[in-house]
Amino acid sequence: MSKPIFELVNELPTNNITVMMLRSLDFVVPGEWQNIVGFENTIREVTGETDEEMIQQIGDRAVWLYNDKSQGYQRAMWLYQTVDRADSALGTAALANKVGTKIPLVGGLLNRVTPNPDKAQAIDLSIKLVVELVAFCQINGIPGDSIGDFVAALGEYSGESLMRMAALVCVDGLIPLGPDFILKAESTLSNLSPKDLTSNPTFSRVSKLIPGNNTGSQLDFIGNSFDSVKGWMTNFVSEKDLTPQKVLSGFKGFIEFSDNKLDYIAAFLDMTTNYYEHTGTQTLANRLIERALAEI
Amino acid sequence: MTALRKILITFLLGIVLLITSCGDQSVSRFDDAQQASTTKGSNAVVVESKSGSSFNRFFPASNNEYERVYTQEKKGFAEAKLKQNGKEVAVLSISDILNNPSAANKFKQSSNDIDGYPAVNQGKTGTAVLVADRFQVKVFSRDGSFTEEDREAWLSRFDLRGLSQLD
Repeated sequence: MSKPIFELVNELPTNNITVMMLRSLDFVVPGEWQNIVGFENTIREVTGETDEEMIQQIGDRAVWLYNDKSQGYQRAMWLYQTVDRADSALGTAALANKVGTKIPLVGGLLNRVTPNPDKAQAIDLSIKLVVELVAFCQINGIPGDSIGDFVAALGEYSGESLMRMAALVCVDGLIPLGPDFILKAESTLSNLSPKDLTSNPTFSRVSKLIPGNNTGSQLDFIGNSFDSVKGWMTNFVSEKDLTPQKVLSGFKGFIEFSDNKLDYIAAFLDMTTNYYEHTGTQTLANRLIERALAEI
Repeated sequence: MTALRKILITFLLGIVLLITSCGDQSVSRFDDAQQASTTKGSNAVVVESKSGSSFNRFFPASNNEYERVYTQEKKGFAEAKLKQNGKEVAVLSISDILNNPSAANKFKQSSNDIDGYPAVNQGKTGTAVLVADRFQVKVFSRDGSFTEEDREAWLSRFDLRGLSQLD
């Protein structure tokens, strides 16, 4: 049986590498993300209510909604949890090596990190986008193949959802693939065969929830999704005037690394953070609580 | 020796208490709901409830000052944000009470009405009306500037009569 939603929200860490990384990205979407953890705390934040009886009713209803499998919330949670490839042992080792407030990315720690080849990284970026699309539709109820509605809704993204997209652009796009990451991902996708896709570990993990009858049509879905979101990403990068250098200088607040190890910093963050799961749990909790408030 | 034994027993009892209280950490005020909602055959949403999309047309429209943005549409529930100059000031929703029948209870004490439908305040920031004993229409303030009067005004901008005839 899956974990209760209140446990998932209660167990969100208040400070780990994921949280440090997201905080370092505050300059991209200033003030949008506060690390709100704890189920009751989230109810109070989302609704502004303090009445204990009302908090009980909202929480109870949210629990019921989450546990009704027909409502899609558990599928969304599974997607957010599964798409990250966090290696918790590496994260623990990195934190144990901390000097002052910084993690030095050197020596043994560096040896345990394997950079993703560009092709795999481009696939990861696209799969994460598709996961966001599918999870969004599961949570908010727009039919799963409505890419247009999703793109319209992206403009409405705020709070932890916007932070998740900011992190996607920075950590899975700009840093590992460089300033022309959108073009690189596009060209990778256009040359991709269904076989390439099935051999990608990120795709394999989440493939059962990617729309399409076979790998070929799943590949089409991924390509179409990327195509319709690339305009939004391009605008996001240019509006915020984002560069790898700016993002890296944020990371230097909590990791020490040399500038010729960019591939490694991307891989290190990929392996030690689960920002999709972390912010995805927060998004899911917020939407559930809003719905519960309307229904009690 | 007896003294030592006493100390030892107290110490062991302490450990036992510590272990049990650690085990109790998982006790939550939402455990009952968790248990009831995971019992075989239980569901939060019933098939007879109306689709969320059937509610959209009864929401008030945007105007020069306010923008209405639909945000959620699930079975028995639809929700929109109300934005003023780009800032979220309220949340509007319609839900089918079939999915949570006890929600109707609060209207029994209602002494107020909006366009003839029983209305109540809920919590510090919400106002709700019950339409045709079946649909709850709610407005919650998301900004201090959006008052109870604003909520009542926006509730009356819903097509409550139209909603009462939905079948």
